[in-house]
Parts: sequence; C-alpha cells; structure tokens
Amino acid sequence: MKRLERAALLSSLGRELIDKGSWCGETHLQKAVYLLQEVFTVPTAFDFVLYKFGPFSFELRDELGSMLADGLLELVPEQPYGPRLIPTERSGQLEKQFSKAVSEFYGPVSFCAQRLGSLGVAELEKLATALYVTKECGKDLKAKQRAKRLSELKPHIDSKDALDAIVEVDKLLKEVETKSVA
Amino acid sequence: MPKQTHEIRDPIHVFIRLTSEERKVVNSRPFQRLRHIHQLALTYLVYPGATHRRFEHSLGVMELAARIYDVVTNPEVVSDEIKSLLPELNDRDTVRYWCRVLRVAALCHDVGHLPFSHAAEKELLPDGWDHERLSRILIESPEMAALWNHMTPPLRVDDIVKLALGPKKARDLKFSVWETILSEVIVGDAVGADRIDYLLRDSHHAGVAYGRFDHYRLVDTLRILPSRRTSKGEQPAEPALGVEEGGIQSAEALLLARYLMYSQVYMHPIRRIYDIHLKDFLLEWLEGGRFPTDALGHLELTDNEVTSAMYSAAFDPRRPGHVHAKRLMCREHFKLLYQRHPDDLSKNLEAVDRVYEAINGRYGAENVRRDQYPPKGGLADFPVRVKDGRIASAMSMSETLRRLPPVVLDSVYINPGLVDEAKQWLDANRDMIITRKAEEGV
Repeated sequence: MKRLERAALLSSLGRELIDKGSWCGETHLQKAVYLLQEVFTVPTAFDFVLYKFGPFSFELRDELGSMLADGLLELVPEQPYGPRLIPTERSGQLEKQFSKAVSEFYGPVSFCAQRLGSLGVAELEKLATALYVTKECGKDLKAKQRAKRLSELKPHIDSKDALDAIVEVDKLLKEVETKSVA
Repeated sequence: MPKQTHEIRDPIHVFIRLTSEERKVVNSRPFQRLRHIHQLALTYLVYPGATHRRFEHSLGVMELAARIYDVVTNPEVVSDEIKSLLPELNDRDTVRYWCRVLRVAALCHDVGHLPFSHAAEKELLPDGWDHERLSRILIESPEMAALWNHMTPPLRVDDIVKLALGPKKARDLKFSVWETILSEVIVGDAVGADRIDYLLRDSHHAGVAYGRFDHYRLVDTLRILPSRRTSKGEQPAEPALGVEEGGIQSAEALLLARYLMYSQVYMHPIRRIYDIHLKDFLLEWLEGGRFPTDALGHLELTDNEVTSAMYSAAFDPRRPGHVHAKRLMCREHFKLLYQRHPDDLSKNLEAVDRVYEAINGRYGAENVRRDQYPPKGGLADFPVRVKDGRIASAMSMSETLRRLPPVVLDSVYINPGLVDEAKQWLDANRDMIITRKAEEGV
C-alpha cells in the first residue's frame, strides 16, 4: 500500500471512529489499526510491539505525524483528555482520490469503528493486549492462561479484567469468522 | 584505600561522577571510540564550534539519567498507587540494581554510531541494520560482557540492551512497564536524558542559544504517574513518565528548544547538503559501499579515517569519491533550489516529488539531490499531575505544546553551476509541474 493510499485509509478509519462516538486520539487510532491489521489482515504493514497501552506501532505514530504535517489530520484539544486527531477536508479529498482502497476495506474499517468507538484508553489497552496475547500464545490456549499472561505483561490489569478482555477477544474473533466481515 | 568515585569536568553538567566499575566501561575500546565520532557530523563546517563528540554526550546522558532516576524513585514523591503497580520501587536492592543498569545503558546507548554519526544508515548499512543494532552487538560483545559480569551485583546484558535501545529498537525483547519507563528516562521522545543533553550540549558548542532551557526544574518535577483517564469512572491506564504541573513550563521550553534547534541547526540547508555529499563519498569509498557490521570492523572506523580519506580524495581525481570529497573540502556544495511549501502542498500533496522528478529529468541525476526528513516522534504528550492531584494530558494543559509546528523537511538541491538557470526555469514552470500531475491523479 502506497503512503497516500494508506493515509486515505487511516483518514477513513478516523472518520468512522468519530461517527461511532470515539474520542479518536492517537491511542484509539493505534488500537483500531492493530485490529484492522491483525484480525482482517488489511495490508497497512505497520510493525506493532508491546508498548504504550498495549500493541503500539512507532511507524504508525510517525505516519500520523506526517498526516498532521500534511494537513490531513487536525489536532483538536478538548478537556480533560488528550488531543483528538480529526480528519480534515483535505483528507476527505484524499479519500475520494483513493476511493477504491477506501471502499475495498470499508467492511473491516466499519466493524473496528463499531467495536472500538465507545471505548476509552484503558479499555482499548485491555482489549488490544488481549488480542496481542491471543496472537502470541494461540487461541487454543485456555482463556485463563492467556489472562494470566496478560496480567504478567500489564500488571495494572487485574486477573478479572484480563479474563474479561480475553473472553471479549474470543467473541470478537468468532464473530469475524462467522460473519465474514472482510 | 583506592578512590571509588571519579569526577570528570563537563561544560554542561560541571561534574560528572562515576564509579570505578563505570570507569572501566568508559575505558573500554567501544566507548573510547566515541572520542572520535563528532556528535553533529559536519555541522562544524557551518557552526565552527560544533566539534564536540559522542564521548562527552554519552557521559552527560549517564549523569542526567541518574539524576532523573533519583528523582522519580524518591519514596517521598512516589504515590501509593504507583508503588502498588511497580513493585520494583519497593525493594531497595532492586532500585539500586536498576540504577546501575540505567547508568551503563545511558553510557552505551550511542556506541554503535557510524563515523560522523551518519544518519543515512539505510544506504550505508546492509538491510535491517542501524546504529542501535550495532550498539547492541557491542554491549553483548565478550569485552563488554566481561565488564557487566564483574560488576556488583553482575548486570544482565538484556537489561542493559533494553534500556539503551528502548522498545522501538529492541523489538525482539519483551519490556515490562518498569523497563519501558526506564528506557524512556534515557531515550524517551518527550523528556528523555538523551534529548535533554544533546539540546543543551549542541546549543553550547554551536554557539546558539535556542537549545537552552531550565533542565534543573524539569528534572526535579519529573514523576512516574498513572496515565490519564479517558472516560468517567475508567481505571487509570498504565504508568508512564510525566511531570508535576509546576514543571510543565520547563517541558514546554525543552520542546520549543528542540523545534528551534532543528530549525536553526540540525536542518540548516548547508549542513544537510554536506551530509548528503558525505554519504555520496562513503558510498564510493567504503568497500561494497557499506559500513562493516562486525564488532571489530565497526571499532576500526572513526571520523579520523574518513576525514583522512576525504582529504586525500579531494585533491586526487584517481581516488574513489573524489568528486564528492572535493565538494566537501573545497566548499563546492550543491545549493538549495526548492523546499516543501504549504501553498504547493495544498495543490498537490506530492508537490516535492513532482518538482524533484522534473528537475532531475531536466538537469540529470548527477546534478540534483533530494533531502527528506519526515516528522518523527509523534505527539509530545505525557501525563501531568495537576495541583489537585488529578492526572491530565500535557497537551490538554498546554497551548504551547499543541501549537508546536512539526519538524519536517523535504528539499531539492542542485549543482552550484546550474542554480541560477534552474531557479528561473522552476519559477516559470512550478505551478504547471505541480498542478498538471495533480489533475492527472497520482
């Protein structure tokens, strides 16, 4: 995927997230792209490691910085949380320019926005890290063991929350399989 | 009894103190090599005072990282919530162990730098290599491993690698929250010791005031804080490095200093084109056009060998890299012709691509160079503890942080003999070059 094509897709994701009630800060976009890439194999080709609030891509962070510099995203401060990253009119034009790629991935983008739009950072961290652990250990490993691993990686997430997050990820993956969202 | 603590005078931090064990690290070959690596490459050709080396910067990063560590682990400023989330803080031996790891990791974070701290690692190293990977090879080398093993207590190599490189560059290693925070103390994008030291030091040596800020106040107000909440009733997310509200102006000053230093020094167009001519020289001079990636090969090459070769090549057309060495040594560098412009970007986001292609097509690749530096490091956001004890996002607190322009550069340079003609031609054709392609669709 070429840079501007990918920027158009990120912009459409931001727009969908906002439409579904998301704050759409950097963390929201990071976790939504992680879901898109890992669950739907959308070829955004970002490399994710476990870092701030779970899976995090330094390349995606730089890409969002480029989009801000190019006027494709606008930083909108709102109290009391961190800034929102709002797609601009210029990015709307870019989405039109790359409408083929945007419509090709509309299903997964819409699904991710629907599922993540209402979540705050701590909830996103739990869900995205649960997905990370499930990818790492394999979904055949018992939920309790995966939850234990999650709490090891993120000690501020207690065992009950970790297990809830693993169960939620299993449900999500099953839903994707059965509904064939992609 | 032999002296256990040693002092080194430093223009930025006055005294840098180190233990006898740390002095062995400083005396090692990988660290001594840094005496011969310029911190700012060929910037001294533009700012003559900027001849300082990675050696003193690395000492400075150790000093600052240790000061930050002492502040953020001080039991008087660590909240009960953080103590419960980070058990490492509750055990004195553990706190002492990580202090030692942090100090040597800070010392060694730059040992893998190429001659002239060259940034063109993609072109000058084999695929998948960068200076951080070279740093890791040296930290893990038998010579350094022996030093870690003889420390009291012995230090785990992986711990040093994690803190020296951070999660971005040591992707195969799993970082705990504690390790992530400590790596941020050294190489963090917002307020890490590396950044604090290079801004102060580069500013001092270059003779520009832009890089100065009240780092004493900043360091004193750094804290490990729970991250902000993002919805009512939500539990705090993971701990991170942040500041007390009283330190936010110092953090603003740091980030403003960074912006100004990039604008005035690091992105100076002549400094940038010298870097490109140096890269062109190295591509022809190095065996196979690549730097060696084995420890010994790396240790054998410093700025001294490169400078000597450049000097010889500049005045001998038979030597590899002659043309590029001459541009450097005789100040016949390419001139800035075009740079990224908001008006042009509003017409076409790939305006610089179009201009570069057009100029390249008209004047030939040998006469044209492009220099790109995309925004890096993301948003300067970190938790702030406000006076009533609540946690807020730095960006929600600070208008200054929100409005800091991104550091971004995209420029086209041309052979000095062609610059006047090329400027006239570009002035006459620029709009057509940019808009024609935009209408055709990219």
